[in-house]
Amino acid sequence: MTRHLLKLVWNRKRTNGLMILEIFFSFLVVFMVATLGIYFLDNYQQPLGYDWQDVWRVTVDMKVGDNDDEAMAAARLKVLKRLLGEIEALEPVESAAVAMVSPYDQGGWTSSTTIDGKEVEMESNGVSAGFAEVLGLELVAGRWFREDDTALAWKPIVIDQDLAHTLWGDEDPLGRQLRERDPTEKPERVVGVVREFRKSGELAPRTNFLFQHMSLDVPSWFRAQSILLKVRPDTPAAFEEELARLLQGVAPDWSFRIKPLAEARTSVFRSLLAPLVAGGTVAFFLLLMVALGLFGVLWQNLLQRTRELGLRRAAGASRSAVHRQVLYEQVILTSFGVLLGAVVVIQIPILDLVGFIRPQVFAAGLLFAAAAMYILSALCAFYPSTLASRLHPAEALRYE
Amino acid sequence: MFKNYLKVALKVLARRKFFTFISLFGISITLLVLLVTAAVFDHALAPHSPETRSDRTLGIYQLTMRGPNNTQNSDPGYGFLDRYVRPLSKLPGVERFSIVSAPQTAVSYVGGKKIESQLRRADGEFWRILEAEFLEGSPFTSEDESGARFVAVINETTRDRFFEGRPAMGRTIEVDGQRFRVVGVVRDVPALRFSSSADMWVPISTTKSRHYKEEWLDQFHGLILARDRADLPAIKSEFQASLREAERHLPDPKRYQTLTASADTLFEAYVRRFTPGNTDVIYPGRVKALLFLLMLLFMLLPTLNLVNINLSRILDRASEIGVRKAFGASSRTLVGQFVVENLVLTLLGALAGLVLAAVVLSALNSSGFLPYARLALNYRVFFYGLIMALFFGILSGVYPAWRMSKLHPVQALRGRSV
Repeated sequence: MTRHLLKLVWNRKRTNGLMILEIFFSFLVVFMVATLGIYFLDNYQQPLGYDWQDVWRVTVDMKVGDNDDEAMAAARLKVLKRLLGEIEALEPVESAAVAMVSPYDQGGWTSSTTIDGKEVEMESNGVSAGFAEVLGLELVAGRWFREDDTALAWKPIVIDQDLAHTLWGDEDPLGRQLRERDPTEKPERVVGVVREFRKSGELAPRTNFLFQHMSLDVPSWFRAQSILLKVRPDTPAAFEEELARLLQGVAPDWSFRIKPLAEARTSVFRSLLAPLVAGGTVAFFLLLMVALGLFGVLWQNLLQRTRELGLRRAAGASRSAVHRQVLYEQVILTSFGVLLGAVVVIQIPILDLVGFIRPQVFAAGLLFAAAAMYILSALCAFYPSTLASRLHPAEALRYE
Repeated sequence: MFKNYLKVALKVLARRKFFTFISLFGISITLLVLLVTAAVFDHALAPHSPETRSDRTLGIYQLTMRGPNNTQNSDPGYGFLDRYVRPLSKLPGVERFSIVSAPQTAVSYVGGKKIESQLRRADGEFWRILEAEFLEGSPFTSEDESGARFVAVINETTRDRFFEGRPAMGRTIEVDGQRFRVVGVVRDVPALRFSSSADMWVPISTTKSRHYKEEWLDQFHGLILARDRADLPAIKSEFQASLREAERHLPDPKRYQTLTASADTLFEAYVRRFTPGNTDVIYPGRVKALLFLLMLLFMLLPTLNLVNINLSRILDRASEIGVRKAFGASSRTLVGQFVVENLVLTLLGALAGLVLAAVVLSALNSSGFLPYARLALNYRVFFYGLIMALFFGILSGVYPAWRMSKLHPVQALRGRSV
């Protein structure tokens, strides 16, 4: 049966070739959009590692100059510490902390280390001791930073499970030294492991993450750029103005921008999903166009083959047999297109062209696109094949 | 002859309405997407008010300092621009030079309501490079800049936000803890124009701290207006020469020894911004070719679809072709006729596409998706659309027409398939 149908398909190779090509390109379009969508969905389902609800971010511009000396840095730190104290004293504020990088920030700080000859990239952040409480980080081993950590002879480091796993597999990371340092600087030692931390939010992939301690007493090269504060649920938006006046009053030379993390999160979602929505809309119309086109072509083809199908009916083939034949031929065409497309897209994970997307996501995208093509083909072929199967043998044979 | 083709074409279209609908749908949707894309590109890159001279303006938007172990890359600082780029304005080809900051989000609270504005700090020359349309008042000047006067130019939307649309001249606004007197109101500048767009502009000298005067890397841009487009290459090479000069005065010569930056046209600046990784060398020509290739790729699927449909339609007319061939029409005449028919179809589709594009663009404008966008179908975009439609029509008409002209007259007269 299949061999026979393949022969029929081959006999009309030029028309069918074009249809296969069309299905091939449609497959590619669906694959791209579906993979991007599944990629975001896959990321969204991974743990985030922190609570963004009721956390406000104050972006601080301390107007730091390139030529500032130690004394100015120390003076700045003093103002920062005072700010933090005043914020914590406010009635709606539950806790507050200072960080270099806040969740949902556009930019960030990435560093790398070499372990067993392979380079490991990690996102990093310098944070004050209150950070874990403000964002509700979950410690799975060891401890978090303490105010008096500056007294230690080494620098405490907290990492997330992803980094612990990348660096040391299943071994215990606590107490380990992370990087070979300049002997003049303190060595770094891991004191704790948090479950997860994904700075760029739910839609970004899981990354390795490393925290360093930012002291509010001893100046370091860290530049505090955000103050994060956990407020009580249902804190009115008007509190923002009160907070702004307070901050501007303490540090009139600095600039502040206050934003609930929820808003920052929304704008990150929006900017990441906008290309997907635009691409999805365009892909939808392309597919609609292809579907209408296929439908028209199939219809026309079957009109051309009236006599052939009539002959089959006259020779005793049942209606459903004719129906099946037409659908089955279309399935064969679609399979060619999908196969061709699969051969092309499978190169992406094999050649590692887009490293940050997992192979499983590609596989899911491929399956989705293949299913979409079969459904589309079946829908387009269904009505023409019904028409064909309704032909009366006598009429079909007389057809000119 | 041509008139006859047209008549036949319209008759054929009217006969198989379903097929005509499918074809028109495909063509118009394809052109809709292409036209909207073209309109966005035109909006971002072509000279538009207030950047009417953007075709002869160069911008310095990035500066990279490098040493053996250190690299620092950011927007240039005022100190660098003022000391090493400003002297370029003595060149005969340079008409004006301006320094303006990148936009910063600044917050105001008005009557318990929070207003976020994009704030730029600019010198007086900035307003003489732009041709902004002033609804009220006038720009601030170089005297305002040198006298550090707290004056501001705001856009129309900001006037609505602060003063509910009432005249703003002479009134005071408080932003980021500073108070400014409004001296001018301009029409909104589209946010895609990244060298000029903002909600309010104030003199650079009103910056809270004096640090900026010394900085090499900070948040400022330099704009160079050339007298003529032909002067741009010379200015670019002079700019490189001034970078070499600046390298000898680097603030931290132990860490950093070289400087990389370039004076870019708007298109080059966009390419640099979207080039991943190292952007010292960019390839605007290749990017243009890539964009063109992407357009072709995008048109591939609709074209295939149209070819398929055209083939089916033509099969329908086998006997007509047989008759024409039997009476001596050459293959070339037949190909010509069917390409013309297809062009009629594509142009009809293009017309529908234009109407749809106008609707979608006005919806995009009012959606606020691109702030202050005034996307429109101007004559340039219309011209692109026409070219695309012709290209599309010829591409999708030639193959089916060729297949058809190959028909053997005897077989065609009998109504046999291709």
